[in-house]
This record gives sequence, C-alpha cells and structure tokens, in this order.
Amino acid sequence: MRSKKALWPLLPALTLALTLGCDKPRSTTTAPTDPSEGADEQAASDIEQPDEPGEAVLLRAGKVMSGTGTSYSPGAVLFVGADLVAVGSPDDVTAPKGATVMELGPDAVVTPGIIDTHSHMGVYPSPNLSGLSDGNEMSAPITAHVRAEDGFWPQDPQLAHALAGGITTAQILPGSANLIGGRSFTIKLRPGARSAEDMRFEGAPAGLKMACGENPKRVYGQKGGPVTRMGNVAGYRKAFEEAVEYQRKWDTYRRKLALWEVGETNSRRAPKTQDGEPEVKRDEKQRPEPPARDFGLETLVGVLDGDILVHMHCYRADEMSLMLEFAAGYGFEIRSFHHAVEAYKIADRLAAADTAVSIWADWWGFKVEAYDGVRENAAMVTQAGARAIIHSDSATGIQRLNQEAGKALFAGRKAGVEISDEEALRWLTINPAWALGVDDRTGSLEPGKAADLVVWNGDPFSVYSQAQLVFIDGEQVYERGPNSRPRSDFDLGLRDELRGAP
Amino acid sequence: MNRAINLSLALSLLVVPALTPAALAAAPPADPARAEQPEVSNKLILSNARIEVGDGTVIEGGSILIEDGKIVRVEATAITNVAKSVTVDLQGKLVTPGLIAADTSIGLIEIGAEDSTHDDARTDSSPIKAGYDPAPAVNADSSLISIQAIEGVTTAAVAPQGGLLSGQVAWIDLLPGDHANIVAAAGVSVAANFGRAYAGSRAASLAQLRQAFEDAKWYRDNQRNYERNQSRELVAHPLDLRALWPVLDREIPLVVRAHRASDLLALIELGESLSISITILGAAEGWKVASELAAAKVTVVIQPTDNLPGSFDTLGARLDNAKLLDDAGVIVAIAHFDSHNARNVTQEAGIAVANGLSHAAALRAITLNVAKAYGMDGEYGTIAVGKVASLVVWDGADPFELSTSAERVWVRGHELDMKSRQTQLRDRYMDLEPFQR
Repeated sequence: MRSKKALWPLLPALTLALTLGCDKPRSTTTAPTDPSEGADEQAASDIEQPDEPGEAVLLRAGKVMSGTGTSYSPGAVLFVGADLVAVGSPDDVTAPKGATVMELGPDAVVTPGIIDTHSHMGVYPSPNLSGLSDGNEMSAPITAHVRAEDGFWPQDPQLAHALAGGITTAQILPGSANLIGGRSFTIKLRPGARSAEDMRFEGAPAGLKMACGENPKRVYGQKGGPVTRMGNVAGYRKAFEEAVEYQRKWDTYRRKLALWEVGETNSRRAPKTQDGEPEVKRDEKQRPEPPARDFGLETLVGVLDGDILVHMHCYRADEMSLMLEFAAGYGFEIRSFHHAVEAYKIADRLAAADTAVSIWADWWGFKVEAYDGVRENAAMVTQAGARAIIHSDSATGIQRLNQEAGKALFAGRKAGVEISDEEALRWLTINPAWALGVDDRTGSLEPGKAADLVVWNGDPFSVYSQAQLVFIDGEQVYERGPNSRPRSDFDLGLRDELRGAP
Repeated sequence: MNRAINLSLALSLLVVPALTPAALAAAPPADPARAEQPEVSNKLILSNARIEVGDGTVIEGGSILIEDGKIVRVEATAITNVAKSVTVDLQGKLVTPGLIAADTSIGLIEIGAEDSTHDDARTDSSPIKAGYDPAPAVNADSSLISIQAIEGVTTAAVAPQGGLLSGQVAWIDLLPGDHANIVAAAGVSVAANFGRAYAGSRAASLAQLRQAFEDAKWYRDNQRNYERNQSRELVAHPLDLRALWPVLDREIPLVVRAHRASDLLALIELGESLSISITILGAAEGWKVASELAAAKVTVVIQPTDNLPGSFDTLGARLDNAKLLDDAGVIVAIAHFDSHNARNVTQEAGIAVANGLSHAAALRAITLNVAKAYGMDGEYGTIAVGKVASLVVWDGADPFELSTSAERVWVRGHELDMKSRQTQLRDRYMDLEPFQR
C-alpha cells in the first residue's frame, strides 16, 4: 500500500470555502469536543479501527449523492484515513474528536469519484507523437499477451486534466485494432506517479480488450486478415479453441503432478503400506513435465475461469448479440461492451446476460457501425434493466463525464423514460465500478469503501458545474484554483504559463 | 457577392405539396393540428417571447414578424393588425437566433470513415485549391442536417478540407431535404490551413500562401500575357488564383485553421501586408497573442474544450481561451468542430461561461460572431429587421444548460418537423416487446 500521507496537506478550511466560490462566509469548525453534542452513537460505533488510523475528515455539503440511489440534502460524509466511515444527513454523521470539518456550503454536491471504464491515457497520450503512441500492438490480430500497463506513460498530461474533471478511477485499455488487443489495467488517478505500478488500483482484476467490427478488418484487411466480420469471429474462435486446449494441457499436467506427488499415475495406484497408508514413492525421472507457458493463452484461460473481465469494443446490436452467444458457448461472460452505440436495440438481451454497456452520450456517424447512435441510449438501456455506463474513450470527454451523463439523462427524460438524477449518477460511479470488478472498494459512498469522492460546486449535471475538490483513498489530490492541477514532467518548461489556468 | 435567393421559388419547391405555394407554416408540419389550418399565411408573428437578440440585448415580452423567410419587425410589444398573419403565442419562452456552426462538413460527409460518402476535398496534388467550390455537392438529404437543426443549429459554414488553400466556403440554411435552397450562398470565404503539416515547414507554408496571393494579383493584371503564353510560371491554376480576387478585394475573408501563437502572428502579418480580412479557426494559443489579434481585428473561432497539448502547436491550449480573448477585445466565436455533433455548440458555450466568459458574449459567440467570422453578419446572427428568419424557441431559460433543448425551430422562416433519423431510431426501439421472440 501507498503511504497514507496526503500529497498536498489539507488547506485551512477557510481557504476552501473561498475557493469554492461561496458568496457568503461560512463557519469553519472542528468537531465538537463534547462527544454527546449531536453525536450519533450508531455512526460512531460503526467506526472500524484501522491498523493505522488516519486523519478523520467530515465533509458537510448542500447535497451528498451516494451512488447507491440515495441522496441526502443536506448531507455529510465522514472518512478516516482511506476509508469511508459514515454517509448520511448531517444530523446522523458526526465527527470524532479532532476531525477536520469542511463546511462546503449549500451549493456543494458530493458524489463518489467518477470512474471511466474506457481510457487510453498513458498509452495514447498528449502530445500525440509517434514515439508516445503505445496503444495498439498492431503486429497481429490476436495479441492477448500484451498488457496496457507495459506501455503506460505516467507523465501523460491528460491524467491531470482528467483528475480535474473528478475522475478517480479509470481503466486503461489497449486500442481496438486487434481482435484481442491485450490486457487492460485499472488505475487510480494519484498524482506524482513514476511508473504504472504507482497508479495501479490494487486488487482490481485485469481486463481483456477485444474488438468487434470495422477496426480489426480495416487494420488487417491488407495485412493477411481478417478481412470481414466472418474472419473476425473465426479469429476469436481460433484463439479460444487454443485457450481451451491450453487449459486442458495444464489441467492434465496438474492432475498428473498431483498423482505423482502421492506416488501414483493414471494407471497405477500407490501400494498401501502395512498400516493401510499409501506408500509414497516419487520417481524424480517420472515427474510430469509442465507444458510451455504462454502468457497470451494464460490470459484467455483467465477469461474462461472468470478471473479476467472481458471488455469488448462492439457497436452493432447484431454483433453484440452474436458475441453474447459466442461467449456463452465457451462459458465466459462479457463484462461490458464498449461504445455499444446500438445497445438500445438489444437492451433486454443485455439485461438478461448481465452485461454492462460503456457508451457515449452522443457520438455517432464517424463510422457506419456508429451510424445509428441516439442520445437516449443510456436511458433506454437503463429502462430495460441493464447496466449503462457513460465512458469517454477521449482525453477531452473524460474531463466532463458528468456533463456527458447529463446530456444522456435529459434526452432520456424528454423521450419519456423515467430516470432519476441518482440513477444517472450510477452511470458514472457504481456501474463502471462493477464493470471493472471494483464495486466492493469504490463507486459509491458507503461505509467501508475507499474515500474516493468529488466535491462539485453545483448540480453535477449542469454545464456550469466543476469539480472543486477530489479525494482518492482519503487524500485530497485536487483542489480547483491557481496552481492546483498536478503538473506532469512534460508540462515543465513547456506549459508553465498555464499554471493559473482552470 | 452572395448568391441571390429566389424565395418564391424556394417556397414552391418545399416539401409539402398541400401547402404550396405559401408554405410559411410547418414544412412538413410539426403536428396535425397545425397542418389542418385552413388558411396558410406567409406572415408569421411570434409573440410574447423573451427575445435574446444575439448582440447582447434582451427584449422581454417581445414579438417578431416573419415574412418570406425574413425578419420584418421586432417589437417590444405585441404586433397586431397584420393582415393575413398567423400568430404563435410563445408564452414567455426564450427565443434566440438560430445557432451557426462554423467550419463544418455538413452535407459533404455522411460517414467519417467511408470515403464514398465524402465530397469535402478536391484531391488533386496542388496544395492551392482555392477555386474548389463544394456548394453543388451539399446534400440536403444528409442525416446530419435534421440532427443538428432540431437542436437549434439552423445555419452552417460548409468548408472544404485539404491542402494549403482548401477552397470556397458555402453558407447553408439547414433545411432538411430542400436541395434547391439549402445553399444560401456560395463562396462566402476561402478556407485555408496553416502550420507545418501543409508544406513540410510552416515557413514554406507561409511563403506558398503569400505566393498564391501575389500570383493572383499578377494574373489579374496580366491575363492577356498569360493567355498568350507570355507568363511567368504561376503557383497554381488560374481558376484557383481567380478565386482569391474577392479575398484581395476584401469582399470575403480568408478563413484559416491555425493554432500556434507564432502562426497566428504570421497570419496577422500576412493579412496586413496583403490588406485582406482574416478569420482564424482553432486558435488554441490565441490567448497568447490576444492583443495583437484584437488590434488586427481578426475574428477568432475557437472550441473551448480544446485544452490539451495534443501537439507542439497547442501546448498553450486552455479552457479559458474564450474569456482571455474576449477580455482583450477580440471578436470571439465558438464552435464544436465535429460536424456530426455541431449541435453541441451550446455545451461548448456553457463551458466557456463556466470558465469566465460572460453569458451574453457566449451567446454572441455561437450566433452573431460566427456570422462575422464569415462576413455574413449582414444577413445572419441576430434577431433584427432584415435578417434571415432562423430562430429557436427553447424549453428552458438557458440554452446552454444540458437540461435545455430546442422546442421549435424555424429555418429561413420554415418551421421544422422536430424529427430526425435519430428520433426515428429511438422511437422504433423504445418498446422492445414487439422484437422479442
């Protein structure tokens, strides 16, 4: 684990009140010293004593949206060190002795940290230079053996801009040139990283990037194929057949090894000793040889075993249907389709398969497979009971995923779909957390989860709202204001004039 | 300079035969009730509106009289006693000028990755394509047109791509399906690209641009010699040089895509030395040379969300570019440079406001100032007498808010049916039950 020490010490609460643009002076208090004063016994007794109890921080705001579907107006959030301890109305959540209390004002809204399931930050960084372009291993259509984390550049200036948009967690994916593009990895947007490892979301499962449709056939059409969607599916089939065979080889080996360890083989039981125990006689010469390891096939076996989550770039309804059938045939699940511009056409099937869709609010038309985009996609998917996620696939879009969700929310409502603000917030928080397999750690404001949260200066679905404060694992990692955005090494000497820029 | 518009022809060619010839009502009708109006008038009064004129002024409870596609009267009170008129009571709703999209490929590109749907560039090897006029290629049946229009974008600059001088910009009214009238004016400006990519070096680009204008002048003065084959070698085909004459005569602007501060200064200098009018598109680093841009009266069209150092030309990109330029006195227009989502220009404007630009300046930036950028502000960009009647009624008080959308839209006096290919797809799949088997 990383040190719990804040990268930037918490500023005095008064400064915070000012930078939040409050037009009225606000009280800046610490917790009441008398524990009986407004203390909530329940909340207090729920506090688990962490090994290394960190600083207790209580945020009080006009509204707290928990990401579970509940909002508190006004609301309060208490966290100690990296962990959330209590969330609720200010009457129910009180600060332990010595806690830092931040009065954020009536306009402030606290939400869970925003989670993007689809980012190429670090592998397709800014500036877009050939020497920094590390997102697509276009040497073959199946590259299950590569990992995004091995191409990740932690100095990408995009990362700080995403953080300023309230992003706390993102999945970094290989591109979509390949049928199977390689492993993704999930990061927390901690500033100051010197390696991919420094940003890794500890305990998050790996993902596997796969891609349907036009991109692989465009990239490989002149390079030996696939040339068609038929070829695409044949490619996945070949890869998974090899994985099944590889899995079988290893299963056989492991079984033989287990028998050998007790002195048996497939055809010979170990003789019993006089007291009835098996007589273990291991012949080193007979020790089974392990099959050659293949990291790519191991990755696919991870998928078959359910340890690696499949994230599949796929636009068309028919193709997504086909891939659901394909995956079921091999006994694995597709965790999330990505882009899924036509998800609204098969929302019922997505719900039945428990497959999420990571979509844009309104991108369309850049390819024929993206021609049928509608702004109501997320609302219609939600209406059918499937999990919708608003994703970015863009270093610009990631800076305001809240607004993208807003567009999808209001379009859905105007088309007659009943969607609450709380439901739309799930598109950015708990749903992506589920898709990344980290919903037990983040994605909602619930006791025991990581203190990943954003303080907005207004309704998160307003075009005018901006993230004012961002906390990751209880550390304040961003505060809007001059000199506030973390600066990557790239920025130094090249973007010095931007230090005061929003 | 603008193509004359024969409005009676325009009207007679409109979509709904039952409504001809005087089809100022819905075309096609937005709802059956309106379609059944027995008498169709060519005079429409929008009354009881909160009119944001587009130049910063607001008229509460105002009225607008539209006749033959033009705004004929704008009053702070009710307009009454107009013979053969139809009045629509807007019940205090907000009306703004139709939004104008800068630098689009609307009608020229249907699907980005499908070359067979592209008419945006002349693909000859010459970097100087100033004579290329895409107006005849604009496809009124493109799905992009209604998708933008029903969200409030009523007008667009349709610009060719490619080369150093890409060609001429067409000005379109977003009239879905109206092939005869979609192009309001051709050749309203000449589009250009500037930066290192276009001639191997930005210095070479600049020299080539300058040479094109010098040769255009030379050719105009020496056409006979040219025709007698007694000419020096010209940098481009005479038709491409001839297209620069209205720029040299300051009849139309040169509209240049450029970002780096040094490039913007070079363009200011070019404009001054040739005495031509220049608009800059992109201008990610515009704020660095804001006072120079203001002094040179260069109009700048920016996309506020362009804040990443995507290349070494945009290291200075920042979210408050619009505010800084506006503060310095630059005429700032705002665009979302993606034709398929040009409708998101309201979001761009809102983001500019969130980063310091005034609300009034932001509205001007997506209406009047876009018209100014292309020299079309005489006819477009505000709700004023004599201007083209392209108007939007909004369902909320603030057109930039994500929760606000266009409720009714008039393009050159024609009310749109609020339908698009996207609304049809949505409606088909809103209930999945009929598809379940």
